Amino acid sequence: MTISRRVFVRSGGLALVSLGLDPLFLARAVFAAGRPTGRPSDRPTLVCLFQRGAVDGLNMIVPHGESAYYQERPRIAIPAGDVVDLDGHFGLHPSLAPLKELWDNKSLTAIHAIGSPDGTRSHFDAQDYMESGTPGVKSTGDGWMNRYCQHDREHADTPFRAVAFGPQLPRILAGSAPSLAIDDLQAFGLRVPQEAARDRLTRAFEELYAGGGAGTGLLASSSREGFEAVQMLKRADPTQYRPAAGVEYPQGRLGKTLLQIAQLIKADVGLEIAFADCSGWDTHVNQGSSDGQLAVRLRELGLALAAFNRDMGERMNNVVVLTMSEFGRTIRENGNSGTDHGHATAMLALGGPVNGGRVLGRWPGLAVEQRFEGRDVAVTTDFRDLFGEILARHLGATDLGTVFPGYTPTPSRFLGAIRG
Amino acid sequence: MPLSLLATLCVLTTQAPGALLTPRDSAFHALNRLAYGARPGEADSVAQFGVMKWIERQLDADHVSDSHLAEREREFKILDYDRGDLATRYRDAQRERQRMQREAAASGDSTRMRGARPMREFRELGGELQQLALVRAAVSERQLREVMVDFWTNHFNVFDGKGADRFLLPSYIEETIRPRALGRFEDLLIATAQSPAMLFYLDNAKSVAPGSVPPFPLAAMRRGGQGVGQMPTGINENYARELLELHTLGVDGGYTQQDIIAVARIFTGWSIEQPARGAGFVFRDWAHDRETKQVFGLTFHNDGKDEGIRLLKFLANEHATMHHVSAKLCARFVADAPPDGCVDAAVAAWQRTRGDMRAVLRAIFTSPDFWSAQAVRSKVKTPLEFVVSAVRAAGVEPDDTPRLAQLVGRLGQPLYQQAAPTGYGETEAHWVNSGALLARMNAAMMLAKECSSIPTIADHSQLVDLIDAKLLGATMSAHTRSVILDQLSDINDPEQARVMAVGLALGGPDFQKQ
Repeated sequence: MTISRRVFVRSGGLALVSLGLDPLFLARAVFAAGRPTGRPSDRPTLVCLFQRGAVDGLNMIVPHGESAYYQERPRIAIPAGDVVDLDGHFGLHPSLAPLKELWDNKSLTAIHAIGSPDGTRSHFDAQDYMESGTPGVKSTGDGWMNRYCQHDREHADTPFRAVAFGPQLPRILAGSAPSLAIDDLQAFGLRVPQEAARDRLTRAFEELYAGGGAGTGLLASSSREGFEAVQMLKRADPTQYRPAAGVEYPQGRLGKTLLQIAQLIKADVGLEIAFADCSGWDTHVNQGSSDGQLAVRLRELGLALAAFNRDMGERMNNVVVLTMSEFGRTIRENGNSGTDHGHATAMLALGGPVNGGRVLGRWPGLAVEQRFEGRDVAVTTDFRDLFGEILARHLGATDLGTVFPGYTPTPSRFLGAIRG
Repeated sequence: MPLSLLATLCVLTTQAPGALLTPRDSAFHALNRLAYGARPGEADSVAQFGVMKWIERQLDADHVSDSHLAEREREFKILDYDRGDLATRYRDAQRERQRMQREAAASGDSTRMRGARPMREFRELGGELQQLALVRAAVSERQLREVMVDFWTNHFNVFDGKGADRFLLPSYIEETIRPRALGRFEDLLIATAQSPAMLFYLDNAKSVAPGSVPPFPLAAMRRGGQGVGQMPTGINENYARELLELHTLGVDGGYTQQDIIAVARIFTGWSIEQPARGAGFVFRDWAHDRETKQVFGLTFHNDGKDEGIRLLKFLANEHATMHHVSAKLCARFVADAPPDGCVDAAVAAWQRTRGDMRAVLRAIFTSPDFWSAQAVRSKVKTPLEFVVSAVRAAGVEPDDTPRLAQLVGRLGQPLYQQAAPTGYGETEAHWVNSGALLARMNAAMMLAKECSSIPTIADHSQLVDLIDAKLLGATMSAHTRSVILDQLSDINDPEQARVMAVGLALGGPDFQKQ
């Protein structure tokens, strides 16, 4: 399937071979010819941040209108006076105050009580299910983002269609559709310090794999895509990138990653899906309240998202940023002023296409009889309904049934997170 | 039986059955598939010894002397700890981390947690285990056994990153997989079913008959690493499902959800002893489902642990299992989409010997499909195969640092780190993508600097000839040769030319295939 796609994409170039063109230029020429005629900046992009470790949704999007919240969390609840109120019932953790502006201009929404139909409280299993997109089924080989790329191919002409920022391809992007793992944009390609020597070595390997050297299969097409990516990045010159005036990303991995994602989107290399991890949410002990451990992590998240939003400027009109986490945490604080593994959590979606300014999802309430297994926030929105809506309404996916086998999100179950 | 007659003739005449292959090419092919590639000169020595005789020796691994590996293994302190030691160390490390978390939180400084020593030491042990696998693959004389250890470790995949599996994995590799890699499938299947690593990974350890009550305090059921120490309340189907789908019958093996539930009930009570007691296998009678179960036409009356053993012996020799596992073996040794002939030969040998892996493998290696022109050099190396074969060809002696293991990880196949129970894929679609190929080229340039099997030679043509002979088994294409020579044309420094030529050869398309 992968091979036929690639053959199809480049079949326009086969005719040129007989004209005696240099095959190295041929690949580029076909690539250029294959790009859609629409302005590249019109392409929608989805940026996903996985909060690994299970974020405490109740202290991220605080149900400050619910007395049970304060009764169950005497030491770690966010005092009503500190909460950045959103709608009288829910509010942002004070560390997320930089995002209030986006709420007010209706480009930020929070989805509460969202999660998996599977009740596991194992990080490993729950992350696995959220990435495979098949809760309860462990043997699914590929991830749902990759399955989307396998079936909706309008963007299949660029090696940068799906990029995971990190040393390895995560489960969510594993599968037969090509996707890139980039640890550091500036170090992508052959690692030779001097530019002239690097160009020379790149050229040498390119020649080795071209001209029939790698046969006609995947080795040939993948290497060609790799060298195209290197060339495209060289032209985009990531070392020269400066964020928009006045924008400063916070120190740390997340800020650096979002900066590089902004860079890649602005370089018009065809980025459709960007994925990154953001860890440190497993707050079993002393998670803190308005200040403390969780507050520090949320501050970095809020500042990084706000910086990304400002840096992107007008281009946010075609970008949706989605946060996700494998499950939420217990409603009641534990004996160590922390929280243990729970069930439903909250997710954030922001960007121009987002139907913001409202908290989405049916709120189940925190009373004991409203809880999952008597202790955790119940799941009222299956995460596949949100992911499916974003794929369909933002990226234009046409076949959600193959993206989420055994479960087809239908418009009737969509929350309305994306403008119609 | 013309096939087995042919096989017998081949063994007797010590000739490979491939009519198109020279003895040297046959030896190179066998070294690419039964071993992690040829060391310099090895294709000639195997051809001289007789390739079929060499294959027989590899199948009889216990009688191959392996003193250099034994010496190298002594560098790895992880082999000095047993499961109990590791369990204790793991528990101490976790407690220490929790203490530091509390202190860090109390002081409001979350950055203090970085590099907390106890857990870092434990992570280093994990890295050591990976590197040990690399050293074994690179230097062992029992190459086929190492290949099969990798095959079974992947077939019965366990993820090192899931809680207690961090300390259960070493004994899984050493005690469960390695001794049985060339044995009977049934024995290996039973050993994995009883291994604490698998019982934890696929949750069977917490699968109990609904309503069963432990006769001792709940604290005994707590396990490290998963946050909640909740009492299990019913059956967990995970192991049962993967046992049928992945380990034995295969996804099209013709079983139902009702079968999965029956199998899960049969395995209730198969669990893990507390870490303080060594974290070994234990059958908990109180947790076992005593009701009668019916599955696959068999009836299981209340018979404790023996129910599971009986079921495993049945599954191990079902036709669907033989076919599923044989096809996987042929995908590994013959071709990504193996022809029916070699699979049928393997199944026949399995039936004849009740799953003796040496007989099954012999049937594959003597099958005409194994030696066919379509099979030779048709498979793309996995990252592990690429790195180890480069190390062997280049004469690099792997050290005991995690360096090479990390390299395999950067190329996309970090050992013991596959979270999904499917294990890593075998076909080229899993391994060939643009980012991964660039990473292989970088790795090739790095390894070229350490290459000791190619001397510096002033004459470029001679240099490339030597690289072709020693590194590529004389499979270098005319295209590769001309590109490398062209690249060397303006390099005067012979050392620089040597590194460039070796790097291009190892990173080029010819070396990616086997």
